[in-house]
Amino acid sequence: MFTLQRLIAELTAFWEGEGCLIEQPYDLPVGAGTMHPATFLRVLGPEPWRCAYVQPSRRPADGRYGENPFRLGKHLQFQVVLKPSPEDVQRTYLRSLERLGVVLADHDVRFEEDNWESPTLGAWGVGWQVVMDGMEISQFTYFQQAGGIDLAPVTAEITYGLERIAMFLSKLDSVYAVMWNDTLSYGQVRRREEVELSKYDFEVADAELAQLMLDRHEREARRCLDAGLVIPAYEATLVCSHQFNVLDARGAVSATDRVGIIRRIRDLACACARAYVSGKEGQRSPASEPEPAAV
Amino acid sequence: MNTHDFLLEIRTEEIPAPALLPARLELARAAGEALAEANLAPAGIESYATLRRLALVLRGLPERQEDRSAEILGPPEASAFGKDGKPTKAAVGFARAQKIDVADLVVVDSPRGKTVAARKTIPGREAAEVLAEILPKVVGGLAFPKTMRWGEGTRAFVRPVRGVVALYDGKVVPLLLYGVSAGDRTVGHRVLSDGEFPVTGPDDYLAKLRNAYVEPDAEARRIAILERARALAGEVGGQIEAHADLAATLADLVEWPGLVRGSFAPEFLELPEEITVTVMRTHQKFLPLRGPGGLLPHFIAVMDNDADRKGFIAKGCEWVLNARLADARFFYDEDAKQTLEARLPELSRLTFQEKLGDYRQKTARIQELAEAIAREVGRPDLVETVRTAGLLSKADLVSHVVKEFTDLQGIIGGLYSRRERHPDSVWKAVYDQYRPASGSEEPPREASGAVLSLADRFDSLAGFFRLGLVPTGSKDPYGLRRAALGVVAIAIGRNWRSDWRPIVRKALSLYPAGLKGPSPDEVVDELGRFFADRLRSLLERRGSSYDEISAVLHVGVWDFADAADRARALTDARRHMDFRSLIQAFKRIRNIVGDERPGPPTPEHYREPAERALAADVLQAKQAIEGFTAAREYREAMETIASIAPSLDRFFVEVLVNCPEPELRRNRLALLASIQQEFTRLADFSEIVVEK
Repeated sequence: MFTLQRLIAELTAFWEGEGCLIEQPYDLPVGAGTMHPATFLRVLGPEPWRCAYVQPSRRPADGRYGENPFRLGKHLQFQVVLKPSPEDVQRTYLRSLERLGVVLADHDVRFEEDNWESPTLGAWGVGWQVVMDGMEISQFTYFQQAGGIDLAPVTAEITYGLERIAMFLSKLDSVYAVMWNDTLSYGQVRRREEVELSKYDFEVADAELAQLMLDRHEREARRCLDAGLVIPAYEATLVCSHQFNVLDARGAVSATDRVGIIRRIRDLACACARAYVSGKEGQRSPASEPEPAAV
Repeated sequence: MNTHDFLLEIRTEEIPAPALLPARLELARAAGEALAEANLAPAGIESYATLRRLALVLRGLPERQEDRSAEILGPPEASAFGKDGKPTKAAVGFARAQKIDVADLVVVDSPRGKTVAARKTIPGREAAEVLAEILPKVVGGLAFPKTMRWGEGTRAFVRPVRGVVALYDGKVVPLLLYGVSAGDRTVGHRVLSDGEFPVTGPDDYLAKLRNAYVEPDAEARRIAILERARALAGEVGGQIEAHADLAATLADLVEWPGLVRGSFAPEFLELPEEITVTVMRTHQKFLPLRGPGGLLPHFIAVMDNDADRKGFIAKGCEWVLNARLADARFFYDEDAKQTLEARLPELSRLTFQEKLGDYRQKTARIQELAEAIAREVGRPDLVETVRTAGLLSKADLVSHVVKEFTDLQGIIGGLYSRRERHPDSVWKAVYDQYRPASGSEEPPREASGAVLSLADRFDSLAGFFRLGLVPTGSKDPYGLRRAALGVVAIAIGRNWRSDWRPIVRKALSLYPAGLKGPSPDEVVDELGRFFADRLRSLLERRGSSYDEISAVLHVGVWDFADAADRARALTDARRHMDFRSLIQAFKRIRNIVGDERPGPPTPEHYREPAERALAADVLQAKQAIEGFTAAREYREAMETIASIAPSLDRFFVEVLVNCPEPELRRNRLALLASIQQEFTRLADFSEIVVEK
């Protein structure tokens, strides 16, 4: 039987075989796998980097109380980053679909223009959405800029929408009907979470608290940057970004505020990126980190 | 000289469809230009494009450039030869450097005087060598809306370059494009063809591509799509809607167009057709099908595949479409829980423009302006209607359906207004507020819709111009040209005669006074020029010539409908009457009168018979013209003006304007000035170009 966990295992094994380090999901709420430091920070600078991981991604405004069969306030992304982008990257991606049992000649696979921009991260890229038989299953992006910094070498980022692909492969028309493993469905595992998180995000969340958290974490990020701590500064930035999304879903962001908040978060992200690349060269490459001493 | 064919193929990852046609045309044009400059002209140039490759074919390209002779200047004659006529060291050295015998040096006249020169024949270079030099520049010069970098990030093109073929006379031309060396191998369809294969030249290439499931010719792909689509539609008793743009776009999204027909759940036919069609056409790029009784629950999708072997593709498309329509219905039903009016507070969270405020404020301005326009065009009876339509006009921007399907703005507001039982004149006004849209000339159906559309457009134009955000060059991010063209088209279409400046001033007065930017007077001037340019393009499309339009706009822009009438009258009149001598006469009057202000003529001072005759004719014509102008019979008015041409001609032959007697001279100037003043109220005839 086709299951979500099988899908994750296959993709992990495939990209492991392509020389990717398998990272773990970041332990803070984020809107997309791109925000994981393994993407946002590692795409900066010249060091080669190949990495893959699952990232639960929260978008409070997309929540639908567990009622809409396609939309989720929290979904799973399978993220792959390859720096520099390899020559055969499209072919490799298509082979990953074959690994999932897709016979390409039986389907209609397209790379349709879809450029990506994240105003809060000061990042943008050029690429496509991969559409199979009319359904978007992945996002394919060549990162041009991150944190306001022009990138060279360029990273290819592939983001698989795991729920979409699972629905597609198991030919089901509700995400909640997808089997997570042989006995439990996605709905059994996650529906309650979707219902409650939607209710919380749309009706209950304390906008004042979110605003306070945003403001305080902005200050915290600045303090960390002053102390030369890039990772904590970036984590505080991620908190700001998530709290902004909470405020937005709550309908608590006015038009004029929106522009200002986005700029504040972008300023932080850009400052983190600059601090990251201006650190000692060796600190950016895990390969040049010293081995831990033997015990 | 022998000639051979040349083939260039640049293989890339998927290029966005809108970039393909311009890139293909520019590749052929720029290559032709560069080759002509290099003295290596082919007999024919073809170019091809699919989303994964650009190809250039040069037919009958000469093997090398023609030899050419050149003269290389050396030292002056005086220092090249001694008094004895023997060559000096300077001459010998020059000859040696030029690798010719010193005896073969010649003396020529140059800008430096008599100078020694070496005459040489420069042999033409091989075609392959020239191509290797110019093609990287030609390809590098292709302009794309957006370029990107990849790999090491040192090069930029529309998408990563993955392969290059360059063959002249069957041999590889050593080219390097974007870090990729040219070879003789290409690939076919991504999925239907396996691996690389070699090609020998253009014809072999085109044939082998077609065998490998790649149709290189966009027009062939487009026609195949339309033919197959018609057949598939016929099988279910439907027709595809003629939509040339979509078929052309679809043709550029695939290398090998195959078609499938699918169905969606008939219950979705209950949704407003506007939504269903938009979901199919805009979001899924499916062709909707229409039967005698309306929309059918079928669609046609184009796939990049020759066949739907297992039926997966049609099923997938159906599945996605049904999901999308279910989503649309959810949004549509959800929207029904709140009236448009109840959504108004939410508009204050939607920015119109950072400095110009939000949509709640825009809504209020539109209401004021719509009322002013209704009164201005003599329809005070519409005031209440357009105020209501104005109030509702932007509320759909915060509806679920428009957030999801943005191109349905206005239409959704109209449908919801109808659902909320607003009268026809209101809901149709909301529905049509963005008409005429780009790519269609369809104006708002009702007068109320025309007023609302004008109010929205004047408000945007006044606001952006007030901030100095005037479109320049090809950049028009706020769509202001389209907005202004719409204003002009509506005013003309409705024949609403008005000097629109008071409306512009009213629109400006509705914005906060403290905005930084040009003053209201400057905005009116700037907008006058902007509208004149829109009028110009519209009138040119309607058959008036450039100079006729200049003549008409020279005497007034701001009443657009009137300017259009005057332009048509002038164009028509010139078709039936000879205006040449009149135009010459007015040019002459303009030159003679210049900036002088001679005052009115006095009849006692007319002395010559030609003078009196002209004055009499002018008086008579003036009365007739006043009558015609009042009745807006502009063509008759212009023909009457033209009828004084013979008396004007006679005047110029028999009367000396610049005569010695000052009083006579003043009076004659005064007569001409009065003609200029009286007879150029409809058009400045001196602006018209006359072929000699």
